[in-house]
Amino acid sequence: MSLTNTETVATAAGNAAAAPPADRRGGGGSWRGHAERHALLGLLVAVVAFFSLYPDSAQTFFTSSNASMLLGNQSVVALLALAVILPLVTGYFDFSLGAVAALSSVLTAGLMSFHGWSLWAAVAVSVAAGAAIGAVNGLLVTRFGLNSFVTTLGMATLLGGLVQWYTGGQTILAGIDPALPQFGSATWLGLPRVVFIVALATVVLWYLLAHTPFGRRLYAIGSNPRSARLVGVRVDRSAWTTFVMAGALAGVAGVLQLARAGSATADNGTGLLFPALAAAFLGATAVVPGFFNPVGTIIGVLFVSVSVSGLTLSGASSWASPVFNGAALLVAVGLSTYLGRARGVRTG
Amino acid sequence: MTSTETAPVATDVVLRITGMTKRFGATTALDGADLALRAGTVHALVGGNGCGKSTTIKVLAGVHRADAGRIEVAGSVWTAAGYDARAGRAAGLRFVHQDLGLFPELSVAENFALDAGYPAAGPGISWRRLHQRVAGLLEAYEIDASPRTPAGALRPSQRTLVAIARALQDQERDQQLVLVLDEPTATLPQHESQLLLDAVRRRADRGQTVLMVSHRMAEVLSVSDDFTVFRDGRTVATLAGVRPTERQLVDLMSGTATGAATQPAAASAPAGPATAEPAVLEVAGLVGGPLRGVDLAVRRGEIVGVAGLVGSGRTSLLKTVFGQHEPVAGSVRVDGAPAAPGTPARMAAGIAYVPEDRGGEAAFPDLTLRENLSATVLRRYWRPWGMARRRERAEARGLIGAHAVKAASSEVPFAALSGGNQQKAVLARWLRREPQVLLLDEPTQGVDVMSRGDIYRTVRDVAAGGCAVVVASSDLIELYALCDRVVVLRDGRIATEVSGSQLTPDHLTELTQSTAGPVPAPGGTR
Ligand SMILES: Nc1ncnc2c1ncn2[C@@H]1O[C@H](COP(=O)(O)OP(=O)(O)OP(=O)(O)O)[C@@H](O)[C@H]1O
Ligand SMILES: [Mg+2]
Repeated sequence: MSLTNTETVATAAGNAAAAPPADRRGGGGSWRGHAERHALLGLLVAVVAFFSLYPDSAQTFFTSSNASMLLGNQSVVALLALAVILPLVTGYFDFSLGAVAALSSVLTAGLMSFHGWSLWAAVAVSVAAGAAIGAVNGLLVTRFGLNSFVTTLGMATLLGGLVQWYTGGQTILAGIDPALPQFGSATWLGLPRVVFIVALATVVLWYLLAHTPFGRRLYAIGSNPRSARLVGVRVDRSAWTTFVMAGALAGVAGVLQLARAGSATADNGTGLLFPALAAAFLGATAVVPGFFNPVGTIIGVLFVSVSVSGLTLSGASSWASPVFNGAALLVAVGLSTYLGRARGVRTG
Repeated sequence: MTSTETAPVATDVVLRITGMTKRFGATTALDGADLALRAGTVHALVGGNGCGKSTTIKVLAGVHRADAGRIEVAGSVWTAAGYDARAGRAAGLRFVHQDLGLFPELSVAENFALDAGYPAAGPGISWRRLHQRVAGLLEAYEIDASPRTPAGALRPSQRTLVAIARALQDQERDQQLVLVLDEPTATLPQHESQLLLDAVRRRADRGQTVLMVSHRMAEVLSVSDDFTVFRDGRTVATLAGVRPTERQLVDLMSGTATGAATQPAAASAPAGPATAEPAVLEVAGLVGGPLRGVDLAVRRGEIVGVAGLVGSGRTSLLKTVFGQHEPVAGSVRVDGAPAAPGTPARMAAGIAYVPEDRGGEAAFPDLTLRENLSATVLRRYWRPWGMARRRERAEARGLIGAHAVKAASSEVPFAALSGGNQQKAVLARWLRREPQVLLLDEPTQGVDVMSRGDIYRTVRDVAAGGCAVVVASSDLIELYALCDRVVVLRDGRIATEVSGSQLTPDHLTELTQSTAGPVPAPGGTR
């Protein structure tokens, strides 16, 4: 297949797992519809219950300190996962978002440390840089019709290199405005403050995707871009916008990363991207099965992180986390495809 | 006919379905349907939209598993649960789906090879053997093309024939294959479909067994030996070796004895707008793509048909007016004001367009029927606190009722609707905008004979309400039944125009064909 912009991730998780014949969203659905919508949430509860009772982890797992740490640490992945679903809804991958977050983290630290910029200026420039990178990706993919998979993978590699060059491979420790790490470790109502940023982003995205004409058009593009064009949707512009928004959101995730860690390491962001992708695809099997959606994504993030945390606390080694993330991604993609086939809806 | 082959015994049944039942959730698509296919016959499966024809074919193809019933192919018997795609293939069933599944940029030979494999020559491919074999097949199926031609360069009927020949290419052995076609002619213009059906008929005369679904009654009657009529998932009639009239078939399909529904009552159509009405749509000197300077003015309340051969630019004309293509020259005016470029602007100016390619250009297959219906009016439902879902749902239900769309609810995925019902929903999606200018491209493809009359009535009502309607259709009877005036596109220009008593199917056939050599006028019996 040539490098066109017609690759459809929507087929991977989107339309493959389209809806059951019965009522799909809200309202009284069929038994099966209900079971499917809430399966992932049920699984999450089951995993929490299991590790709370499992002898090896029972002491440490179900404690408020573990919960607080877990939520705080996952906030970066969660923001990134929310960013990832934006282009995915319209049928495009953006693999550069992990690198964008890494770059934003390093840039925020570097601008303060190397150039003495104020915190706010550094944050603003980093987030804007994320948006700009998204704009470039979006332009290449929509206007010039390059394959989003390859384009954004190339961008990710390029950004990883830039990060190395900018930091000289060193971790940036000194010269960071202490207000940022303080915010990163502060709590509010017993929860890390960063969690509220994630919650805010989730609500905003949920509103945008499910409750505005703009969001509905994005799902229409994901379903069939040619039909979307013929009902008056500006397909390229809308898809481009999702890349820009995703880039900016990944930029915020990078700042959050710096706030949590207190220092910026020269990293290419892959370690962030894959859990985020796994969460996004898992999320597409929940809440609105068959469609990438913010609430499902957050449940996906929690499911992956709670499972990994439980495994770690019960003594599994460091390989457990990537193995689990990878397996979750495969299962999520497989499950959504299977559900689609089982219903006999177009299986692409 | 070759001398080694004797005429098929007309009584042996190669495919028999008994008591087939298939449910999708609360919908019963098939309710104990029966079907028996005699060897060497063309068998037409007919029935209203959503009566279960495609479902039957999908069960035979192994796409769906039936809930109950018995399938018997060439002497082997399966229960519904034990049957799958492989069993059907082994027993000799071959399917050609409506999208044909050809790779347009690959050569005809490669299209054959992708199905049956490439002949090997040592470690490589023997192109010579492949081309030889394919040339033989092309000749046998009377396809006028070389194995090296790209499949996309063939004319539509030949493309379908290539797909048929490809499906049947392993018929060398003693095994008798059964060819199954779901609406093979729905997207073909009239004389293309005639060419295709003639070729199918000639294959059948040499012993090929064919099962075919179609909504075009004249066609079905001209080519078929046997008929099975479905209604609501049940077999209501099996006519073997008898020739029913169109009216009898329609009565069986609809379950009523009126029979009048199929007659597109041109005479009863409102007399059209007074010539004093102002032009709503004015197209002047339009150049671009196949168009070489089209001038067209459509008045308020007028229904203008666009006829022409394949490639004459009918679809291009409508798409350019709708702002999908940027013309090289020329102007489009709505209500006297020049229309801004781009589809969103044209929609805002009151233009609506029902595209020809339903699956590719109109459907959002995995979105719900409601979402498909609202795709043109999303902003209407936006409130600061979110989309007004309740209202959206209620209005969707209203449209489903008003346009007689057969669906379990407004929340089913669009892909679960039958073809004809999808078409009705697409029409509904545009009519709800109450357009000033309605552009229809093959508006009744896949729609059953009974609903066709309803759609004509709806379009006439819309026109009577002041809308300017342009209908592009390759079905000349349709243009005759629906239009006040028909323009004929030829070589990117409007060659002639007919209206009033001149507007007859026969005359239209003459006009459209006049550059393409004489072709016997099909249909047109009045
Ligand atoms: N995958 C599916 N899920 C749910 N319902 C379905 C599905 N496929 C078909 N149906 C329903 O089954 C019924 C029969 O559909 P089918 O496609 O067989 O009709 P058809 O006879 O081919 O009609 P048409 O002439 O319009 O093509 C319809 O009511 C349709 O809505
Ligand atoms: Mg059908």
